[in-house]
Amino acid sequence: MKISVNWLRRYVAINVPVEELCRRMVAVGFEVESVEYLGDTMQNVVVGRVERLSPHENSDHLVICSVDVGADAPLQIVTGAQNLFEGALVPTALHDSRLPNGAHIKRGKLRGVESNGMLCSGEELGLKEADYPGAEVHGILILRDDCAVGTDLREILGLDDTVIDFKITANRPDCQSVLGVAREVSVVLGQPFRPPVPTYRTVGGDVNDHIRVEVRNHDLCPRYMGRVVRNLRIAPSPDWLKHCLRAAGMRPINNIVDITNFVMLETGQPMHAFDLRDVAGAQIIVRNAIPGEPITTLDGKPHELNESMPVIAARDAPSCLAGIMGGLNSEIKPDTTDLFLESAKFRRDNIRRTSRALGVRTESSGRYERGTDICNVAYAMERAMQLIDELGAGDIIDGVIDRNEGLPQPRALNVPCARINALLGLEIPDETMAEILNRLSIETELRDGVLHCKVPSFRDDVEGSADLAEEVMRVYGYDHIVGAPMRGDVVRGKKLPEREKTDRVKARLTACGAYEIMTYSFIASRAVDTLRLPENDPRRDQIQLRNPLGDEYSVLRTQLATSMLGVLATNFSRKIPAVRFFEVSKRFLPRQLPATEQPDEAPTLSLGLYGDAEDFFTLKGLVEAVLALSGGTTTFERSDEPFLHPGRQARALLDGKSVAVFGEVHPQVLEDYGIETRAYLAEVDLAALFAVERPRTVYRPLPRFPAVVRDLALLCDRDLPVGALRDAIAKAAGKLCEDVALFDVYEGAQIPAGKKSVAFSVTLRAADATLTDAQVEQTVAAVVAALEATGAVLRQS
Amino acid sequence: MKEQLEQIRAAAKQALSGAATGQDVDALRVRFLGKKGELTAILKQMGSLSPAERPAIGQLANEIRADIEQAVAQRMRAMQEKATAHRLQRETVDITMPGKVSPQGCLHPVNLVTEDLIAIFQSMGFDVVDGPEVETEYYNFTALNVPQDHPARDMQDTFFLGDDLLLRSQTSCAQIRTMETRKPPIRVICPGRVFRADEVDATHSPVFHQCEGLVVDKGITMCNLKGVLEQFAREIYGPETKVRFRPSFFPFTEPSVEVDVSCAECGGKGCRVCKDAGWIELLGAGMVHPNVLRACGIDPEVYSGFAFGIGLDRLAITRYKISDIRLLFENDLRFLSQF
Repeated sequence: MKISVNWLRRYVAINVPVEELCRRMVAVGFEVESVEYLGDTMQNVVVGRVERLSPHENSDHLVICSVDVGADAPLQIVTGAQNLFEGALVPTALHDSRLPNGAHIKRGKLRGVESNGMLCSGEELGLKEADYPGAEVHGILILRDDCAVGTDLREILGLDDTVIDFKITANRPDCQSVLGVAREVSVVLGQPFRPPVPTYRTVGGDVNDHIRVEVRNHDLCPRYMGRVVRNLRIAPSPDWLKHCLRAAGMRPINNIVDITNFVMLETGQPMHAFDLRDVAGAQIIVRNAIPGEPITTLDGKPHELNESMPVIAARDAPSCLAGIMGGLNSEIKPDTTDLFLESAKFRRDNIRRTSRALGVRTESSGRYERGTDICNVAYAMERAMQLIDELGAGDIIDGVIDRNEGLPQPRALNVPCARINALLGLEIPDETMAEILNRLSIETELRDGVLHCKVPSFRDDVEGSADLAEEVMRVYGYDHIVGAPMRGDVVRGKKLPEREKTDRVKARLTACGAYEIMTYSFIASRAVDTLRLPENDPRRDQIQLRNPLGDEYSVLRTQLATSMLGVLATNFSRKIPAVRFFEVSKRFLPRQLPATEQPDEAPTLSLGLYGDAEDFFTLKGLVEAVLALSGGTTTFERSDEPFLHPGRQARALLDGKSVAVFGEVHPQVLEDYGIETRAYLAEVDLAALFAVERPRTVYRPLPRFPAVVRDLALLCDRDLPVGALRDAIAKAAGKLCEDVALFDVYEGAQIPAGKKSVAFSVTLRAADATLTDAQVEQTVAAVVAALEATGAVLRQS
Repeated sequence: MKEQLEQIRAAAKQALSGAATGQDVDALRVRFLGKKGELTAILKQMGSLSPAERPAIGQLANEIRADIEQAVAQRMRAMQEKATAHRLQRETVDITMPGKVSPQGCLHPVNLVTEDLIAIFQSMGFDVVDGPEVETEYYNFTALNVPQDHPARDMQDTFFLGDDLLLRSQTSCAQIRTMETRKPPIRVICPGRVFRADEVDATHSPVFHQCEGLVVDKGITMCNLKGVLEQFAREIYGPETKVRFRPSFFPFTEPSVEVDVSCAECGGKGCRVCKDAGWIELLGAGMVHPNVLRACGIDPEVYSGFAFGIGLDRLAITRYKISDIRLLFENDLRFLSQF
């Protein structure tokens, strides 16, 4: 809310510098977004009167002016303008003055004649016709006759002002107005608050002879007031009013429109002016729109309405979108003679919904949806009448229409001071509390340690003791709050088990040289196509965002591969030779589409790697390392993930249940992502992983008897998985088997085509004795027999 | 005979001093002390001595044997030391060559600060809880004292998924879920991911992270809130850090405050980091609104509490002086490997 300091001064004396005012307002809850010193760019420009004009002897187009600027002697100024005359009042830039266009004016000589400043055009002062009449005329700006010689021009132009932009929090709709802010200023400065007390003259007659008003839905429109003004004298507004509007960022139009805007800014109550001639049948009906009913608003846009939207209708057609924007058919025109003025309260939630549904937001709708005060409706109307009278803008007809179903009484709150102190942890004296509340216009009596408050209707946000505590505290000063430790049992907080386990996974991966990444939870809906997912893949069932930031972020992800591929691609494109990344985040698996229930949020680990040192097995090693953090037995089987290399991918199972799929990225997918190197992805279902508890470690005694190690070089078919051989060895060696380690796989010279050489190192040990040669030979024989059964023979060396 | 012995001693010592290698020394040991060595040869003649001479000569012979043995050992050790010194010298490495380490990765910077924050609050007795990222209107708004069509809903631009489903715009939902499942005394924090429909720029991201804190118990005051936040701020920013409350508005707390900390960079004097304010905005907080307590079945006449919400991304950004929030989500290895 932009607030002009000069406008504030109309209602409260400001006896501190603007900076101090801002500081104190921040301290009571009004953040300052910006401070604009309007006249900052114009210095040392005053009103001058041209006393005498004489020709310049060295120039045809220059004239020498003698200008009275209120100093002891007139100034000699040379100018090239052609529109001057003796007696003209002109903006005079004195020696060492500054203009809004950046010019720095100093005394000097023009063709040998001394010039002690410059006479200014409207353009040089940064003015438009709407700012000052004649501002866009070619030549020097001629000021109005009532300007006193020597006056600082900023005063004339209303630029001797500062505009503070306060951030008004949603709980303070009353401060969406100059008066509301002035009330707060009066509290922080300890100055009396002097709101205008409206008085005005009427011309007799009866409003009811001119118009009838019917409110059909008081729920949507709790109060509707109207008055009639006849014989309008539409004219420009006086300067003071224009200056106020301009400081608030509004364009002055004419006295009637300006008054409605001024009153809205001053009181926070939107006003709407109708041309009485356009109110068909001299009847105003406040009602819900008929479904499909059309209206064209003031901005020329057509809308189709539904039955929840309130309209102000004349006899048949709606002429105004209630509380939001007037209709094109009833606005005030230059030849309007009779006026119907509306001041009303509309339900804030309805205005909010309607304004959003139609995409129309105005100063008026903004105020209504934050909430307006039902009692203020009457005050604003009175204030408008006062201004119409003061400006001589028309003849006010007697009588006011006021449709409402009863006005609220001030809310009574009785709160013990002790309760407020208990919440704050302070000992603010009871009297201090009462005094602060009274200063805030919350009428408060202190009786037996209890605050008996009457909360005015404009402070609808003050509902109970906590609100009163805040009101007291923000004025008393938050610096009084001193940190105090909490009391209670001394305990260390606990993490959820899932978080503890996730921490371990992350620690394991960072120890393997992997860096954690963070990516958005939403992805492009078509990303599943790039992953080559078939039509019936459940991961195509993605929840759509209703208001995404763009196509790239339109659905909640059902897999993390897309995000990881994107990050791999970014790094690859930046010439980073090798990366090892992981992310722990959620997959969103809908229970139905369109989603009506919260989806399953599946905690998931994603791994992504590329680089010369990486291959399927470095990835598998990482997956194994993570799986080893859980209990259970890990097995692997071939998988068929469409975005992975068909021959280089696997599913990991923990106790037979799938927990991870991993492998080399399919070349087509790599190409689509612009990754020109092999890359590897894994996705681990953390819920499945964590479901298998890791058994508590129980110490095993260290071996007391020596082990026997036998190396076995085997020859088998190329396609026989080494895992099958390893399992056969382990099974055949039985209890004595301590370890089976693969140490070589070889194909090529000396190996028959279609075969491979596989070498294992087998460690045998008994827990209770040294193995005898016979035991060893017997076991090895059993192992060899088992291997032969599996399809491998010992290599003859 | 005595002279012979002394000659052997002298000869042995001289020979040893000339020995160039360990083998030379060993050969000398054999030559003088071996079974067929010179000293042994002399001693074999002991029998020809008179009984009166024998003890003195015998003693001398033993003394000389010991003397030579010691000289041999000494010479041997010296040779070994020399050899070792030579080897060590040969093995000298270029200490400016790079060290060899196993690669070590790292958590994301936002999670690094989150872990620090969790540790601080755990030490103050706060449990760490989680909540869903897809929420219903009830948990994100209504139960937090923001009714349908209330202007406070405009305080954040929310991503909607359905009529009643949305991406949580704040971790404050965790307050409600916690109070529904736990009874006072409650002390929890809920770090997590939140979403707002903000266009991406240097300071805005549609996905970011917050940590909600909630305390509910009998007799909890605003001074307790300040006490907890002071302790937190001092652990994060240093023991001299000051905390300031400014009045503000959140629908789910009353009174509500913005909490500033004295700028760690300049100690509050004003600098570029704090834009000359001397203070940095840290978080929003307040006393839990009675309506919120009531919505969760907790009697505000008996219990009170406070809540706060900390922006984790911003905490990381200020700690590491990161210039642009987008870097956090770009995941360039050269960025991630700096932490």
